[in-house]
Formats: sequence, structure tokens, C-alpha cells
Amino acid sequence: MPSALESYPSTHRSWLIAGTVMAVLTILPFVLGQLGRTGEYWLWVATEMVIMALFSLSLNLILGFGGMVSFGHAAFFGVGAYTVALLMKKGGVGFVPAMAAAPLVSALAAGVIGWFCVRRVGLYFSILTLAFGQLIFMITLQLYGYTGGDDGIHGIPRPVLLTPLSYYLVCLALVAGSYLLMRFLTKSPFGLTIRMTRENPERAKFLGINVKGYQLVNFIIAGGFAGLAGGLFTELNRFAQTEFLHWSKSAEPIFASLVGGMYSLIGPAIGSTVLIFLKIIIQQIHQGLVEIWGIILGVILLGVVLFMPEGIVGVYEKIRARRRRPQ
Amino acid sequence: MNRTILDVDNLHKSFGRSAILNGVSFSVPEGEISAIIGPNGAGKTTLFNVITGLYAPDKGRISFNGRNIAGLQPYQIVPLGIAKAFQITSIFPRLTVWENILAAVITHRKKNLDCVTPLSKLAPIHERAQELLESVGLSDFAHYQSGTLAHGNQKRLDIALSLALSPKLLLLDEPTAGMSPEERRDTVTLIKNLWERLNITMLFIEHDMDIVFGISQKVRVLCYGVLIAEGSPDEISHNPKVIEVYLGEGD
Amino acid sequence: MMNLQFMLFILINGLSQGMVLFIIASGLSLVFGVLRVINFAHGSLYMIGAFLAFSLSSLFAGKTLFAFLMLMLLVPPAVAVLGLGLEVSLFRRIYRKEHLLQLLLTYSLVLILDGLTRIIWGGQIRNVPRPEILAGSLDLFGLFFPSYNLFLLIMGPLIAAGLWTLLYRSRAGNYIRAAVTYPEMLGALGVNVPGVMTATFMLGCFLAGLGGVFMSALANIDLSIGMERIIECFAVVVIGGLGSVGGALLGSLIIGVGVAFIQIYFSRMALVFPYVIMALVLIIRPWGLFGKPER
Repeated sequence: MPSALESYPSTHRSWLIAGTVMAVLTILPFVLGQLGRTGEYWLWVATEMVIMALFSLSLNLILGFGGMVSFGHAAFFGVGAYTVALLMKKGGVGFVPAMAAAPLVSALAAGVIGWFCVRRVGLYFSILTLAFGQLIFMITLQLYGYTGGDDGIHGIPRPVLLTPLSYYLVCLALVAGSYLLMRFLTKSPFGLTIRMTRENPERAKFLGINVKGYQLVNFIIAGGFAGLAGGLFTELNRFAQTEFLHWSKSAEPIFASLVGGMYSLIGPAIGSTVLIFLKIIIQQIHQGLVEIWGIILGVILLGVVLFMPEGIVGVYEKIRARRRRPQ
Repeated sequence: MNRTILDVDNLHKSFGRSAILNGVSFSVPEGEISAIIGPNGAGKTTLFNVITGLYAPDKGRISFNGRNIAGLQPYQIVPLGIAKAFQITSIFPRLTVWENILAAVITHRKKNLDCVTPLSKLAPIHERAQELLESVGLSDFAHYQSGTLAHGNQKRLDIALSLALSPKLLLLDEPTAGMSPEERRDTVTLIKNLWERLNITMLFIEHDMDIVFGISQKVRVLCYGVLIAEGSPDEISHNPKVIEVYLGEGD
Repeated sequence: MMNLQFMLFILINGLSQGMVLFIIASGLSLVFGVLRVINFAHGSLYMIGAFLAFSLSSLFAGKTLFAFLMLMLLVPPAVAVLGLGLEVSLFRRIYRKEHLLQLLLTYSLVLILDGLTRIIWGGQIRNVPRPEILAGSLDLFGLFFPSYNLFLLIMGPLIAAGLWTLLYRSRAGNYIRAAVTYPEMLGALGVNVPGVMTATFMLGCFLAGLGGVFMSALANIDLSIGMERIIECFAVVVIGGLGSVGGALLGSLIIGVGVAFIQIYFSRMALVFPYVIMALVLIIRPWGLFGKPER
């Protein structure tokens, strides 16, 4: 007899939660609009939360579903960011085409980088992603003729139609749409195949699957979504900076996925929101604490890895499973 | 006389300076259930690994249904109709039993690239998965996480995964390794049933002589990378060369 | 700018950077060989060693040989003790966990240690003055050889030899090598395997700290050297193969010299060199120049 009844986290609950959350999120900006300056600030925060949730969701396609640790995901975020920055500021391109280009360019980058990285597995894959991430970072830094180097690109135009409120709604719509796409993806045969390659790549090979091919496709999709997030983020802040590509930026979605729960789809979004709330709280408590943001991140990540690697969603599922077990 | 489904011709394989396979040749007729035996280190697992494409042979040909498969990758060989069940049970631990089999059937039907259809809506695949689940007797465990299953049941799942590919040739590497006598009996019965019902050619590596002599039609003996004897279980048990190899080896 | 003196200077500089890298990378390689964990935080430990050397050196005000010797004697053991704390409290818990979690754990340590370094020492560039006796240059055959670099060129092989002797000619080394190959058997034979693992980890940290000391007097140090060095270490173990002392030495020298020369001609892209080499090797010959192909 099996020793435990543990079913894979069901996502029916996720539908319910997501539906409620969507309703709240859509009404939110109208509520915040009544609050004057404070409201504006929180609206900006909310927009950032939505965008970063997408960034974390995209990484988790590789990490949680694919079982591969990528330390260089910020590279695709940054590529998307600079694509939008360059197109809109220097190329005079409109918002919509620029935003459409971002995921495409970063997907291309992911294709090139991913092709090299998936040739190796496990640790070597991770090292390669770190290396390529840093490479892209340094190249961006060096090409100051195009990218403004250390200064970045500032003063990105904001189309008149996009007020903070409407921009929030645009981001919300795009991210929610992306989430739905990911949902279809992960609940489809393709998603199951990716999970197969995570669980047992050898066995998958012997069932006839070209493991590296699927890993590459997954990597590209993840890179594309990260690029969209980067593009949206850049337009929100109206600048693009090399910090967007730094290895520490790659840490945030990793953290978010672990804390939120990397074996579920919604987990990283939850983790990312928690992360941003944390940042804000720390900023409010004591300005000096911002200095130790890295340490706080590290400590929490440490704790999660040691004591609850399945994350918030995983713990929640465990509690539910325990309650459902017949006494 | 059945036609030959697998023809191995003068297979050589070395790792560094160790020559593991030194000119192995034999033919397997379609529908046969047979065993490969031999002392440890004789090259049996390596032979399987070369046939299934994990390694390319240094020399020699492997013909499956008339087609040379030596040197192809596993994911190219498997769709041709060869499946291998692993010595160390190899399943997808965090997926449920049901998901395991679903995954295998989807792969066999080449539906892996489908990014849009929810898994729950694939009726023909569900039918086949259910069929496979029942044929190995795991229907009760469908929604359990496969990694939590008892060893014997994991083995059944492993076999089911291989069967999902509707193979014409099934290679089983020590299917009863590490099992209790009871589990062993169950597994052997399962293998025999499957062979009778599904009409698959089966080739297995075994150390347990009761099993070997109990269910195989033919036995091939491998020693130091060379086939030293081939025949019915009865012939093999009286073959002086074989007796000499096993002299002193307790069983 | 092709004169001999100049080329020699670059070469020596590159070789000595390579030597320091070797010392650090050998520690990483050792830890991986025995504990089977890639310690991302190894670079951070090295950085802490460098900054510790800086702090300690300001205590000894004066560029004396004594001060430098004190650094060499005190800092590496300090880092080793820090390593002891980390191993006992954290690393022990993750030996049996899946690689994904191990990677993430050591990664979190990077975040923590780098953050702590920033707090304690701040973001400015520092360095440690070289001892007077090593501060100048030696005049040989009409060419000038910077003394400190020569010192490192001697220390590197010395330490390599010392490591090799430890691993292959001492009792402790036997235990370490046995722990790599037969961990379970060793336990059954009554050897304190956790003790061997802890000791090995401490040795790895010791080497990281030593590398930090040497680097602090060789070049400027700041908060980015941790991540820079760990990636170079990865490049070294990728080129030389994990577990090979000779391979680590060769890999380190290739990287050191490569960066030094590229810096002159394509200064902006010099930092990129380790990444490119590593990516190339990983793709073409992932078991390194000296390792054996594993399936």
C-alpha cells in the first residue's frame, strides 16, 4: 500500500482564487484613485506587482515545471526592457508595436542562449545561464553608444492615452492574458511533457522524447514572457537600466517561485507580491534597511529551501490534503 | 518459422580500455520470450543499452525489422518499436500513476507538442491509459503519487510505461531485482500474462534461474562479452560450457 | 606597444592573477569532489578573506613583512572557521537533498554573505599594501619583474605541491580521497565521515581565504570580486575538470593570462573572456581538458 496520499496540487482552487483576485485587482485602481497622492503611489506599486508577477511566472516555467535552475533570467527581462526603450525613445516607435516586439526579441535571445545552455544538464546548465546572463549584462554596459551604458536610457515617452490608471489596467490585462496562456500550456500535453523531462529525463528519452528540444522550447517561451515583463516595466518607470540585467535581478523571480510555491502555476505570482510588499514594509520601517535587502532576501530564501521548499501554495495544499484524509 | 525481428551481428563495445562486448551475434524470432543470462560483468546491460541507443557500438550491426539501428539515439529508436523497462525502476516520481501513463501514451501518439488541449479532454488517450493501467493491475492506485508506491508496484508502472509504446520488442533488465519472493512471483505472472495476451517479443535479463527456466522459450548465455551458448532451457541446463561458467556460482 | 618589457609585465601579471585564481578554485574543486556540493558562496568567502586582510592590515599600520605574514597566518583560518560554522549549521542539512535545492541554498548564502560584506566594509575600493620587501621589482637580465608577482608565481606551485602532497601522500589525504570514492563504505569502516567532510570544507574555505589575502595586495578589491571570481572558478573547473589539481592550475593560468592580454587590446571585453571560454568548453568538451567523459 502506498504510504501517503498526495495528489498533485489541483488547480480548480486556483481558478476560484484567481477569479476573485482579478475582480479585486480590477476595482483596485478606482478605489486608489480616491486617495490622492498616496493613491498614486500605491497604484504605481500595484502596477509593478502585476508586472513582476509575470516575470516570476515566466521563470517558474523553467524552474518549477522544467526543474532547471536558471540564474540568468534577468537577461531576457533586460532585453525586453531595452528593446522597448530603444524602439520608443530612439526609434520613435509607438507603444503597441514596441510592446509586441519586446517578447519577440527576448524570445530570440532565449533561443540563442538557450540553445547553448540546454546542451548541458543540472549544475552545468545553471552555470551556463549565469555566465550568459553576466555576458549580456556586461555587453549592455559596454555598448554605451546604444544603451547609455551605466546611465541607461531615460525619458521614454508615455503615450497620452496611458494615464497611470489605464496603464495599470493594460498591464493587468496583458499579465492576466499571459497567465491564461501559461495555464493552457502547463495543463496541456506539452506541459506534461515538460514535467516528464523534469522528473526523469532519462526515462523520457527512452519513451522517445527529444528532451533537449523540449527544454529549449520551454526556455524560449519563458524568455518571451520575461521580455514582455521587462518591456512593461520599462514603460512604467520610463527608463531602462543595466540593473535590470544584473545577476541579483535574476534572484528575485527565483525567490518568488520558491516562496510562493514552484510546483504550482500561481505560486510565483504570490511569491512575487509577497516580495514587493516586504520591500515596501522594509522601506517604511527604516531607510537603512534597504541596504540589507540582499541579506533579507537571502535569509528568507535559505529558510524556505530548508524548511518549506514547496512554498506557500505547497504548504496550503498539504494542509488541505491532511484535512481531507479520512480519520 | 517466425521471421526475425532483431538481428545482432558481431557487436563490439569498449569503454576506455575495457572491452565489454566482444563480437555478440544472435537473432531473435518474432514473438519469442527469451532470457539472457550470464555472470556479472558479462555485458548484458551494456548489450541492452547498445540496442536501445544509449551507446553506439564500436563495431557491428543491429537490425530491427530489417532496419539498421546501430548508432541511432534512443528517441529515434523507441518510435520504431523497441521499449526498455529499467533495471532500477525508472518512473516519474512526483507525477501520479495516472499522469505517468498518460504521459507515455501521449508520447506514443506524438501529441507532445499540443499546447492547448487540457489533459482532461483527451478521451481516446484516456481510454488507452485506462487499458494499460488495468493490464498491469494498478487501477486502484491511479491518483497516487507514483514515487510513494511500493517497489513492486513501481515496477509494474515501469512496465506499463514501456507497454504504452505498443512495442514490438520489449527488453526487460532484471525485472525482479530486489524483490521479495512474493513480489517476484507476481511480476513473473504479470510478464507471462502480458506476453500471452499482447504477443510481444520479449527479451529479459535475469539472475533468478527459476524464472529463467520457468517462462523462457530460449536462453542465451553471455560471458565476457561473447555468446557462449544458445538453446532451450533444457539444452542450456545440460550444456557443459554453461555449467562450467556457473560452477561455484550459488543460485 | 610591443616591447618585451611590456609583454613580460602583462604575462607576469596574468600568471600571478592565475595563481591566485588557482588557489581559490582548488578549494572549490576539493569541496565539490568530496561533498558533491558546488558552493556558490565560495567566491563570497574569498571576498570576505580579502576584506578581512584589509581590516587586519590597517591594524598593523606599516608595510612590514610581519604584517603580511600575520595576514597569511590569521585570515585563512578565520575564513575556515566561518566555513565550519556554515557547514555544521547549513551544508550538513542539504547533502541528501536534490541538486536544485542545494544550488538555491548556496545561492542564498551568496546573497547573505555579499550583503554582510557590504554592510561591514562599505562599497569603496580597498587594497592592502605590499610588504616592503615585495613592493619593488627585481632586475633580471635587464628586465624588471615585479617582486610581488614573482612571489605569487612561487607560492602558486608551492601550494599546488602542498595540496598534492596532502591528498596523495598523507593519511588525511587518503581519508579525503576515500570519501570521494566510497563514502558509505568508509562509514561502515568506522571512519568519521562527517568529520572528513567538515574538515575538507574547512580546507576549501581556508584556500579561499588565502586567495583573498593574496589578491588584496595584488590588486584593488571591491564588492564585485566575489561574483567575478566564482564565475572564473567555474570556468577553471570546467576547463580543467573537477577534481584535477593539474587541470585547475592549467585552467587558472589560461584564464589569468587570457584576461590580462585581452585587457590591453580589447579592454572592455576582457571581463567577458572567462565567460566565453567557459561557454565554449562547456559546449565542446564539457568534461574539461583533463577530465573523463561521463555519460
